[in-house]
Amino acid sequence: MAFRRIDIDQYDEDIYTEEEILADAESGRSIDEINSVVDARATDVRNLLTRGNNSDALTKSLEDPPYGRNLESAKAKNIKTVVDVLNQFRANDIPTAIKGLNLDQQDVLMKYLYAALSKPEQFNSGMILNWHEKLTEVAGPGSIVRVMTDKRTVF
Amino acid sequence: MSSPDVHELTLSPITAHSFNGDRTKLAVCPNDTNVHIYNTSSNNWSIEATLKDHDKVVTGIDFAPNSNRIVTCSQDRNAYVWTQENGVWKPALVLLRINRAATYVRWSPNEDKFAVASGARAISVCYFDEDNDWWGSKHIKKPIRSTVLSVDWHPNNVLLASGSADMKARVFSAFIKGVDKKPAPTVWGDKLPFNTLCGEFQSNRGGWVHSVAFSPSGDVLAFAGHDSSINIAYPSADGNPTVVTVVTPSLPYLSLIWANDRQIVAAGHDCAPVLFETSDNQDWHLTGSLDENKKKTSISTSVLSRFKTMDSRGSSDNDTDLNTIHQNTILQVRPYSGSPDQVAQFSTAGVDGKIVIWDFDPSRVAKDLSSLRV
Repeated sequence: MAFRRIDIDQYDEDIYTEEEILADAESGRSIDEINSVVDARATDVRNLLTRGNNSDALTKSLEDPPYGRNLESAKAKNIKTVVDVLNQFRANDIPTAIKGLNLDQQDVLMKYLYAALSKPEQFNSGMILNWHEKLTEVAGPGSIVRVMTDKRTVF
Repeated sequence: MSSPDVHELTLSPITAHSFNGDRTKLAVCPNDTNVHIYNTSSNNWSIEATLKDHDKVVTGIDFAPNSNRIVTCSQDRNAYVWTQENGVWKPALVLLRINRAATYVRWSPNEDKFAVASGARAISVCYFDEDNDWWGSKHIKKPIRSTVLSVDWHPNNVLLASGSADMKARVFSAFIKGVDKKPAPTVWGDKLPFNTLCGEFQSNRGGWVHSVAFSPSGDVLAFAGHDSSINIAYPSADGNPTVVTVVTPSLPYLSLIWANDRQIVAAGHDCAPVLFETSDNQDWHLTGSLDENKKKTSISTSVLSRFKTMDSRGSSDNDTDLNTIHQNTILQVRPYSGSPDQVAQFSTAGVDGKIVIWDFDPSRVAKDLSSLRV
């Protein structure tokens, strides 16, 4: 059975790699540019939050997420921006906030919920799960499937 | 015949199914190496023949409606064309020349060619080679990057759509010299030598493309991906096609057909066929489920009440049936009766081993569902 342990794909010259798939998902903007966009958005979102405008802060935080490779710091910062907004909502206000989002924004939010859940030491999973439950009621399992299929990952 | 007409054939998944032209026979693979031919002329379907030549799971079956030949393909990397002689089905091996499993097979509309999709990142377009007296093939390879999961023929017998695991749906020319006459120009192009890429579409949400289908006119391509959405692609001469994506809250769809040029039926992991509609060919939307089977769901499904019945009656509520006719994923939807531009009935086959034949009346469907809409 030894032959079954051979990685036959290494002999394939035309192999379809993960790297290639991820490169397809890139926006084409430079890393510096994306970093500055993410920083600017973090400031905008903070301003909206201090004014108590939670729902606008939520839509703003879900705009134009950083997608692609080699963007660890920008992605980590953007997750933090989104979760900071989520933290501002009281449990009763979550369903209304979700209904105010369009389908694309709901999908992006679902991605950030999973991103936040992957770092339990940094974010409060109980709060995130609360959002997840409410979002699944509206967006359905389809939204969860899209988190898995979409190569434009947020973390 | 009551609608929907349910036939529970096996306990194993039905990996492929195909009816013959007059719907008196049905070829089915129950997830093994055999293909069973059922006699479906009476209401009690019975097996009348078994095709046994494959030695891995059969992945695709297609009955040619006019020439009454069956083509089957399998994970054993082979395809056979079966012809009936004196009541016995005789296989003819097809030279596919692939080194991975075959995944899907379809006869072309004229039944003089068929396309076999495979894991070898290629589509074998097969035709009968008179000189050598066997089925030969030509490969469509570029620019396919991964396993091809499904194919669909354009009504002009030349263009072929493919959906593959590299998350793209493509339209190719499968023009074979000596078999095809030069086709009339279509929206997909006018010069069409073999392997011309006439269109490449992608849903930017990713996901394998499970199923592709040309519209009845052949001018539009629909495809369903693992991202729980369906996409409808309108080609244009300037190379900027319009792709309409309908994102749905349900689980992914595995198969779809055009019921007519404004309605698409899709089915998959949600176990019920659903209807997509457009009124103006720009804005597509999910109308609803075509499965009207509403099992009485007990309202007292709270955990507390469940424990109460367990306590008082010493038993739990063992009802695990789904609220749909299919009790597991639907793997395939195919037109059953009507014409390609006006499907009157369609059949579905699922992992639950059922074949279901559904009536499709576009006007009634629209009315029923509009009354359901909130």
